[in-house]
Amino acid sequence: MSRASIRFASIATILMLVLSSCLGEDGQDGGASAGDGATAATGPIRIWYSNNPEEVAWGEAVVAAWNADHPDEEVTAEEIPAGESSEEVIGASITAGNTPCLIFNTAPAAVPQFQQAGGLVALDDFSDGASYIQERTGDRAEQYKFTDGKFYQMPWKTNPVMIFYNKEVFRTAGLDPENPPLSTYDEFLSTAETLVAEGGVEAAIWPSPDAQFFQPWFDFYPLFAAQSGGQQLVEDGEPQFNNEAGLAVANFWRSLYDQGLTPNEAYNGDSFADQQAAMAIVGPWAIAVYGDAVDWGAVPVPTQDGMDASEVHTFSDEKSSAMYTACENRGTAWEFLKFATSEESDGQLLELTGQMPMRADVVASFPDYFEANPEYEAFADQASRTVEVPIVPNSIEMWQTFRTAYSESVIFGTTPIEEAFNAAADEIRTLVSGS
Amino acid sequence: MATSSATERTAQVDRTVPGGRMSWRRVLGLAVLALGAVVFLFPFYYMIVGAFQREPNPGISGAFPNPANLTLANFGDINAEIDLVRTLINSGIFTGGVLLGTFAIGLLAGYALAQLEFRGRGVVFNAMLLILVLPFQLFMIPLYVVIVRTYGLADNYLGMILPFAVNATAVFIFRQFFLQLPRELFESARMDGASEFKILRSIAVPLARPSIITALVVTFIGPWNEFLWPFLITKQQDLQPLAVALANYISTVAARAANPFGSILAGAVVLAIPAVVVFVVFQRQFVESNLGSGVKG
Amino acid sequence: MAVAAPPGGRMRRLLGRDPIGYAFVAPYAIFLVALFGYPLALSVYISFFDFFFAAPGAQVARPFVGLDNFAEILGDPVFQRAILNVAEFIVINVPLTVVLSLVLAAALNARLPFRVFFRTSYYIPYVTASVAVIGVWLWFFSRGGLLNDTLGPLAPDPSWLVNEFWAMPIIALVVTWKQLGFYVLLYLAALQNIPKELYEAAEVDGAGPIRRFMAITVPGVRPATTLVVILATIIGANLFTEPYLLTGGGGPNGASMSPVLLMYREGIEQGHAGYAAAMGVILAFAVMTISAINRFVLERE
Repeated sequence: MSRASIRFASIATILMLVLSSCLGEDGQDGGASAGDGATAATGPIRIWYSNNPEEVAWGEAVVAAWNADHPDEEVTAEEIPAGESSEEVIGASITAGNTPCLIFNTAPAAVPQFQQAGGLVALDDFSDGASYIQERTGDRAEQYKFTDGKFYQMPWKTNPVMIFYNKEVFRTAGLDPENPPLSTYDEFLSTAETLVAEGGVEAAIWPSPDAQFFQPWFDFYPLFAAQSGGQQLVEDGEPQFNNEAGLAVANFWRSLYDQGLTPNEAYNGDSFADQQAAMAIVGPWAIAVYGDAVDWGAVPVPTQDGMDASEVHTFSDEKSSAMYTACENRGTAWEFLKFATSEESDGQLLELTGQMPMRADVVASFPDYFEANPEYEAFADQASRTVEVPIVPNSIEMWQTFRTAYSESVIFGTTPIEEAFNAAADEIRTLVSGS
Repeated sequence: MATSSATERTAQVDRTVPGGRMSWRRVLGLAVLALGAVVFLFPFYYMIVGAFQREPNPGISGAFPNPANLTLANFGDINAEIDLVRTLINSGIFTGGVLLGTFAIGLLAGYALAQLEFRGRGVVFNAMLLILVLPFQLFMIPLYVVIVRTYGLADNYLGMILPFAVNATAVFIFRQFFLQLPRELFESARMDGASEFKILRSIAVPLARPSIITALVVTFIGPWNEFLWPFLITKQQDLQPLAVALANYISTVAARAANPFGSILAGAVVLAIPAVVVFVVFQRQFVESNLGSGVKG
Repeated sequence: MAVAAPPGGRMRRLLGRDPIGYAFVAPYAIFLVALFGYPLALSVYISFFDFFFAAPGAQVARPFVGLDNFAEILGDPVFQRAILNVAEFIVINVPLTVVLSLVLAAALNARLPFRVFFRTSYYIPYVTASVAVIGVWLWFFSRGGLLNDTLGPLAPDPSWLVNEFWAMPIIALVVTWKQLGFYVLLYLAALQNIPKELYEAAEVDGAGPIRRFMAITVPGVRPATTLVVILATIIGANLFTEPYLLTGGGGPNGASMSPVLLMYREGIEQGHAGYAAAMGVILAFAVMTISAINRFVLERE
């Protein structure tokens, strides 16, 4: 080691020790997180929502309406993209203490991490917090509580995942476009074979085969929710995905990959919109994308032996709004949150974006909308039977562990499914226990 | 100082290659170079074609576009969502700030690390190397905390520029090239009593011009294509550089455009053009320096 | 280096011969400390803890775990695979880059027709944002893409990017293509400093173009070669964008996982900042060691 290196190392060590002593103070630093007083504080607040054009339209309308009535409690809104990078951005700003009061794009899977970092306000702190959420959302609200029984998020809107299919392609392949045979696994598989052979598409269905932690939400999880009659990946600390239902789902996807009906390579773009795939597994937000490009129909996801459509569960693909601890004027934030999730605002959301507000009975609450847009009724109905990601510690690592096992056993078929799933289950059991 | 006139140089070329300028060897060399250029250019060419197409054409025939399929609509689509002009200006401010910092500070540092002897030189060099070696992802959150909380620079250009302000690669490049210059070159000026700064300015910099140009071009690319950091620093859309706006567009909005692929490529083309222009303008500077006989062997 | 007895006595000897160097280097040093001092120190510090970033003022438990993070990482097969992947990448990329960029730079330095066009075309991949150009490569290497169409029956069965054997070499090729323009520039700049007289003299002595290249050009650009090798190694070790975009976050069974991608996943996606920092420390050690070896080998007088 040269003398310069030794000198460098010693300077670095001293620097480290000095700076790390600053860290000791960081814990006691008052910071921006206020105490109980903030629950009542009112004043201007900042919010973030997605940069999705329809949501922006909704957001601007709601903010304008609020600001007109509350000039002393002005809401300023900024857009952040919905997507993986939004978690990074939110995480970084929690650490820096400059998150806005409300973020309308909080992914439930990220809530445990943000909560652990001390970034989220428990909405139970407000006197009508829990009751408001439960009244608005009904039974499904239970799935959004954290392991300590509190609500660190308000379930906002859902995009229940269903199977979209291309009616034109079905017609070409000689299948009935109004009653497509897609309710049992056997039916689905044979339909898929026909589609690829005679429908002029490269794939029957093309979910992303990528290895990121959130991908199971659009292949395994919706079908698992259906097959298991509404189970989550993990329940009460015990993994469920390696039970009979989970293995059936995994084997079903494995057959699709095996027979080349689903490619194990990613498609750059939207394969359904580009008519390279006959079907897609996605929620109603995609309707704005497909629009007139594809003559689409939607059915619930398949189950092994078929189920009545009114009993099939699916993944919620839900987005919550959450209040962050950097918020000073929490009173205003809570009032605004209630305003933005009122029946009127929810109605606007429905109208402008086609996404289902997490309201107990959407169809009954907005009859006019569903009369004008009957194709959305199926989604509204499906929305009452959605399954959420488990709100447990280490939830992202849990999904990553699952995806790795799924990828190697189902997508690439290099390990036996049961073995991979059981190994993953052991790891996950430890993860979600919070250690 | 050796000067070779244009005629001498031409004569040299002719003498160097047997048979004169059109020898088979030369033609073959040119052909290989051209083939390589085609390979290198092809994806970019494909991008440009895609940016101008109304309907995306994923097959090989997409490389030879149907004139009827050509349109400027993609540019219009993306400009409707992202203000291309405003974001380009922001990119310019961000990149300009970085260039300024790198040249004002980095050039001095590179020269000192190469030609000046002082205790602690190795420490600074190793620190620079360490910054170069460690990936940005490692620093990202603490750096964000430092800039936002300690220095209070959220939501402004300075906060955007600061972490990139002195490009470590550029400093490394400066050092390597200043190392190539022999001390004797400066000795006479020093003995004449010139200040070190004057030496740097009048002797070292002109000689190292090609490496400075290289460093300029290299330093340009980093902030120009950076899409994460500015977005962390500010969510205000009128401060965002084009690379950030494009990345956000790709992840959420693009799917709604008439031709999503096309509009993304249109944005990418707009992003790439200034960088190419900068290069084309400055690559002319890569001419032989007058190092010649000012040096021994 | 011969040093004359410094005037100014002890002070000079203490500080070195050119204390003006402090003035020159001060702004940069201040920049480094002010901006990167805390992040760097913090990163090393947290690598010894079960650490995650938290809101200011939050009381959270971050137990000291000593070397546990390091032990876990070094024993993790995914990390080991990632290191192997990056080693494979460097073995392919660095020699290819050095050779190709030097040869190209020499060619582009000559008086060519269309010189600007040629120089620009080799440079363009370096300039274009990865996100934009990735689509073209995804298509090129896909199951039904151009390469497989051309190869016909010779195409490998899981096609390139989802093939455990081919994923990393493909990434190496794509990155080489992308970065080449930068290294060509470095060499182009270095070539300007080789006096024409040397070539003339050699040519008069009867040396052919290849001989002239090997005997004059290659040694003449040695400092640039050091730079190219070190930078290419560093960039290779920090590979992130291409594995992330081209192979969807790590490839088939982690066949194209890179250490930095793993750091991103653990540190940023899953919030295990201390663990990711430990990975960073290990990676930095490895790269610094390799760079030191490279420098030693290449800068031997």
